[in-house]
Amino acid sequence: MTKLWKMLVAWGGTVAALGATPAFAAGTTADTTIANTATVSFSVGSTAQTPVNSNTDTFKVDKIAKVTVTGGVNTSVAPGQTGAVITYTVTNNSNAPMDIVLSAVEPTSDNFDVSSYQIRVESGATPGYQPAEDLVAPAYLDEVGADASRTVYIVSTIPGALATGNIAQVDLVAQLHQGGGAAAMGAAVNATNNPLNAANGVNTVETVMDDLAGTATGDGLRDGKHSARDTYTVNTAAISVVKSSRIISDPINTPLGNPLKAIPGAVIEYCIAVTNAAGGSTASSLTITDGFNTTYAPTSNNLQGNATYVAGSARIGATVAGGVCSGGTAVGTTYTAGPPASVSATVATLAAGSTTGMSFQVTINP
Amino acid sequence: MRIFLALLMLLVPGVALAANDVVLNSSVFVEKAVSDSNGKTKVVLEEPKVVVPGDRLVFVLNYQNKGVAPATDFVVTNPMPGAVAYQGTNDQSAQVSVDGGRNWGALQVLKIKESDGGVRGARMEDVTHVRWPMRRTIAPGASGKLSFRGVVR
Repeated sequence: MTKLWKMLVAWGGTVAALGATPAFAAGTTADTTIANTATVSFSVGSTAQTPVNSNTDTFKVDKIAKVTVTGGVNTSVAPGQTGAVITYTVTNNSNAPMDIVLSAVEPTSDNFDVSSYQIRVESGATPGYQPAEDLVAPAYLDEVGADASRTVYIVSTIPGALATGNIAQVDLVAQLHQGGGAAAMGAAVNATNNPLNAANGVNTVETVMDDLAGTATGDGLRDGKHSARDTYTVNTAAISVVKSSRIISDPINTPLGNPLKAIPGAVIEYCIAVTNAAGGSTASSLTITDGFNTTYAPTSNNLQGNATYVAGSARIGATVAGGVCSGGTAVGTTYTAGPPASVSATVATLAAGSTTGMSFQVTINP
Repeated sequence: MRIFLALLMLLVPGVALAANDVVLNSSVFVEKAVSDSNGKTKVVLEEPKVVVPGDRLVFVLNYQNKGVAPATDFVVTNPMPGAVAYQGTNDQSAQVSVDGGRNWGALQVLKIKESDGGVRGARMEDVTHVRWPMRRTIAPGASGKLSFRGVVR
């Protein structure tokens, strides 16, 4: 042994040169026997002799138990949203098939917890989450092959009445169990069943935990499980409405070129600016309605009895500057003669930080 | 049986040395990084009890001529176990083969034909056999030690 040590010490210089351990994925399957036999051929007195075999040195490759969960995904959600999906990938990095038990943990370091959640597993039929295909995870993922991955979804219902910026965190935890028996969950891989200081044998297969520490509380280094965190961030729309008016013409001053007055016969344009505040989410399917006094029973086109809608004057999608609408289109606008009379318009989507204007004109009744 | 063989040897002149007079022993060690009390890491060799993919192995071959006649044309050949990738030897006289033992030489001069017809230089992990052809005569009683490194695939 001393001789061997001397030789290996002398050889030590090359150890560093060999560098870090090469990246083997799952590597040689656990329980593989590595058997080494050498042969010597030689001659005696120029007569070739029968080659001599060495003993066969054998040992078994042990089981390296490692699971990796990747997350880090943030999904924008609206208050009250159902079927909000976050995605994780669970990979068995062990050199043997393993059973994996999935669970979710909601940390306390966030702003809210989801109302309810389900853990679902990608079926592989159609990529991406399909509610009809990707079913609720079984009690354990059976016999996940070495280096094989599963896409896991957590599908949640978001509570209502949450402001933009609130965050819910969800940790997905993957716990390794021994594989080897289809349709049966093996023993959990943990410090109790697989202590790092366990007695080992050359020709027996030991389980060596090699997983990293994860995001979930209590998920440490080499403990047979791993976890990763995804988040839901509430992103809601904040809509504000500002209404303004201006005189377009009056029967006396327009021809004279004098400042316009709101006298009977004058045409007034109302401009309603609808703004979705910056930093929120896009608002969709907006309906803007300018209703009129319902206590007064107007005649057709008679608004509050004092003004009359100018037929076909409604516009939507106008640019608003200084309370004045310009441009826009009549498409999407509706005038309801009533009673009650109203002008309304629909907006398919309104991006955060943008404004659209609805305008219409009335004539002050003579 | 052993006595019978011994008698047989005595009866057959000209066979100066029976085959089992040269012995060859193979052993394997695994390199483990161990932190000492000062936090320094050193590499130690252990029996291969806990071996997982990526572990570094040291294969040691001990030979001895236990016969009474000198042995010449002495060649020790070690096929690589399937799950082990060759990682080199410090012995300059060693030759390797990347084609199952048909062609031999230094790794740098060996080529690998790829499935698409291309040819590339052989790499450590391509090695299928390693051998040590000895120029010197192994005298009766003489012994030696050879070694090479591998890594569990």
